[in-house]
Amino acid sequence: MAVAGAVGVVSFREPIRSVLSLVVVMLALAILFLLLSAQFVFVVQIIVYAGAVMVLFLFVIALFGPTRELAKTQLRFQSWLSALFVLTLLGLIYAMLQGIQYRQPDKGTDLSVFGTVQSIAVGLFTTYLYPFELTSILLLVAAIGAIYLSRKKIDER
Amino acid sequence: MSTLDIGGSQLDASWFLILGGILFTIGTVGVLVRRNPLVILISIELMLNAVNLTLIVFSRQLQNMEGQLFALMSMTVAAAEAVVGLAILVDIFHVRDVEDIDELSEMKG
Repeated sequence: MAVAGAVGVVSFREPIRSVLSLVVVMLALAILFLLLSAQFVFVVQIIVYAGAVMVLFLFVIALFGPTRELAKTQLRFQSWLSALFVLTLLGLIYAMLQGIQYRQPDKGTDLSVFGTVQSIAVGLFTTYLYPFELTSILLLVAAIGAIYLSRKKIDER
Repeated sequence: MSTLDIGGSQLDASWFLILGGILFTIGTVGVLVRRNPLVILISIELMLNAVNLTLIVFSRQLQNMEGQLFALMSMTVAAAEAVVGLAILVDIFHVRDVEDIDELSEMKG
């Protein structure tokens, strides 16, 4: 189901359909996260991706109207080159998966609390406090940058 | 090969990894083939999600929380990237209507 949605992302000509099939991919991946006992990441995936980021994409598309993609604007050798590149990439990933060596799981982990908000918070606010604060600065910079980029240019009149 | 006990049923971890690889490759196809800058941003989001899936699979397999923490960090970075990328696109669209990203090969406004 995730693969079908991903193919839809790439193959639809209208951007709005790409966005909607990306929502399908996000939700399928969220269910997989829940299967892999990552409850908090599951909730964040649904709220942040399927909610916020997708609404942002939909707003931008709604702002500028549907734009159809013309097939003739593509370069001639581009699809062949990209097919070659992608086959190489797929082969590389497959070869890496063949040669993978699984380490033994860490001992002493209680699986009943694995992936809950509590265990995430313990890691996030003790060992990884510094990267966590850095992401808050990153989000602030991104918000200020977005406002700056989309402001009305008053002084240029 | 490593099996994960998921809800009482045994599932091989490599299936999730193969799914992540396929999703990442499809995202790469999108970036390379599509011409619409919006769809290219969407494909980048797809690739980031595939990487997140891989992180969480390894986190579950090693029974180590750090993979999930790193996935959360990368989600934050991806959201910030989407915001800034869309803001740049909106600014470009205000200047002129772009349907092909190759039209943007010059840096003059």
